Amino acid sequence: MSHCTRAHDLFGAFWDDEITRAERDWLEGHFRDCASCRAEYDTYSRALGLVQELPRAEAAPDLAERALAEAKRRAPEPDRIFVRETPRWAPVAAAAAVLLAVLALAPYVARMPGSPLLAQRDAKVAAPRLVAATPNGTQPSVTPETAATSSATSGGSAVAENLFDHTEDIDFVLDPVQVRRGRAVAVSNLPEGVQGEQAVITF
Amino acid sequence: MAPEQPPLPQVVSLSDEDLMARVAEDDERAFPELVRRFQSRVTNLISRVLNDRNGADDLAQEVFVRVFVHRRNYRRGSKFSTWLFTIAANLAKNEIRRRVRRRNWFSLDALTEVLQDSAPQLADPTENHEIGLEREQLREEVGKAIATVPEKYRLALVLRDIEGLPYEEIAEVLGIPGGTVRSRINRARGMLKRKLQPLLRKQESR
Repeated sequence: MSHCTRAHDLFGAFWDDEITRAERDWLEGHFRDCASCRAEYDTYSRALGLVQELPRAEAAPDLAERALAEAKRRAPEPDRIFVRETPRWAPVAAAAAVLLAVLALAPYVARMPGSPLLAQRDAKVAAPRLVAATPNGTQPSVTPETAATSSATSGGSAVAENLFDHTEDIDFVLDPVQVRRGRAVAVSNLPEGVQGEQAVITF
Repeated sequence: MAPEQPPLPQVVSLSDEDLMARVAEDDERAFPELVRRFQSRVTNLISRVLNDRNGADDLAQEVFVRVFVHRRNYRRGSKFSTWLFTIAANLAKNEIRRRVRRRNWFSLDALTEVLQDSAPQLADPTENHEIGLEREQLREEVGKAIATVPEKYRLALVLRDIEGLPYEEIAEVLGIPGGTVRSRINRARGMLKRKLQPLLRKQESR
């Protein structure tokens, strides 16, 4: 850094009288040797002198009264104490979340054993016809009510005893999913006549 | 406002901070005294930053309105003048930007309006007419020169060289580090020196 650049950097501190004794001695010494820097500082100090000599603007005499009247007219500002206010959208979002949860859980609640919805549904749905093979080749129709008795009596019946006992049912069955045109499609493996809910979960 | 207020005979002897605390406690009698103490400094600051004496009155009023409206936001223990100048500087800054937007939106003719100096209103009427005119012209030039310094440097310059605030307080008012304040003021002074140099040379040649 040249001496003149260093001198220019000290102009501000010199003007503010915030300069160390060593810096002052150095700068004053430089001014004695460098007419250009001396002239520069002269212009600098005269320009700032003009700024400081500017007359002060006086305030309007009724400023306090006008300010007070205007301030009273305006609504007071609330304190800035941090209070976490409930956002306006929160109740709406909460209601929407509850609704979605109800809709999502409804099918599972309906399938729970002892559910009145399940009982109502079972009453409406006709029991599937099960066909048991007979030694003579005829295919007598078997109803759920007769299945237990016929299996007990015939012994060779292919119908399991607990076929209509839903207490051991599996709620979720993950089937392979086929993707057709970018959409996942699950092929139902349920036997004909048996109703079930089907959901496809893609990842 | 509080329905009953105790007598306040010693209002003049209260510190600025205690006075502001009274204002925050809804003591109406403290407010006029607070305005009286600072109205000239606030008006002068805004007048010099905007280079508009008439506009400064309205904005100075707005500064004190904000002080009153936000009185409960004043932190006890902090320096009142710093808080006040922060409000004044922010309002002045907003006003400069609003005027610049208006100037850009309308025409360059408005620029002269924006830079219109208030020097004639500031002139001392008792001065000798000729000397007065010359001095008036000089003040006008100085006011214009300050007004052409970019806003962020101008605010720092006026707070320091016209209002005489210490660097630390300017840093608080403007919300910038002390080193940045110093560099802004140095740059502003340099710009001002270059702008006023022809005027000073003209003065020398007389």
